[in-house]
Amino acid sequence: MKLIRKDGDSFVFDLGKREKRLLLEVLKLYPLVPGAHHRVSRSADDSRVTENQKLLEEALAERTQENRRQLQAMLNDGQRFKETERGHQLTLSATQMEWLLQVINDIRVGSWLILGQPDDKKGKAIAVNNDNARYYAAMEFCGYFQMMLLDSIERQK
Amino acid sequence: MAETVEPVVLPDIEKEQQTATRSELEPGYLVVCWDDPVNLMDYVTHVFQVVFRWPKKKAEFHMLQVHNQGKSVLTRESAERAEHYVHQLQSYSLHATMERDA
Repeated sequence: MKLIRKDGDSFVFDLGKREKRLLLEVLKLYPLVPGAHHRVSRSADDSRVTENQKLLEEALAERTQENRRQLQAMLNDGQRFKETERGHQLTLSATQMEWLLQVINDIRVGSWLILGQPDDKKGKAIAVNNDNARYYAAMEFCGYFQMMLLDSIERQK
Repeated sequence: MAETVEPVVLPDIEKEQQTATRSELEPGYLVVCWDDPVNLMDYVTHVFQVVFRWPKKKAEFHMLQVHNQGKSVLTRESAERAEHYVHQLQSYSLHATMERDA
């Protein structure tokens, strides 16, 4: 995945055929982070915070629903990926890039949760098996796509 | 894919002043971002820049504080604004909370 040009507000990427397939397969996993994963506060005794936990979970659920709708539209949009000699061209606006970053990171964090929250600093290694191997791959691929998107945004500043 | 990502818009404080109590408007809440081993450093920096409209240098400072010290206090706000920021950060899947400033 490589940024080849920026047309006004649009970022145009070159993707290999395998990259496109990987991106679409990874995106199909969305959403992975459960709503209850996010906590408003660590101060459980704060009544205002407790009241708003539910409201925030509802708001995040609405956001997830909307993201899912947009993602479905993207996956069903035959014109989103234009075929080229070497693979495909993907065009995204700055707003869509921001949206895609959120979706991809949800899959990355959700995969990490499914893998048991491995943490090198704490010596908690990833235990990959047949059941969770796809999430290990998804976590790594999401990291790759994130870096490509972030690098493109940075280079255009 | 439609272009309907929720814009980063702060709550209208002037409007809210008519009904909100004084304590709700006082900047008594800290917005804290906690370290986790999954969010990429460049991603966290980017999110801080987008959510708070910070320059890259400031965003990197707080990202490194999260990484090295386990957490960073990003801002001190009223309850409503703190909720808004926490919601924004969580929509990017960052580990962010609001804590009452003791």
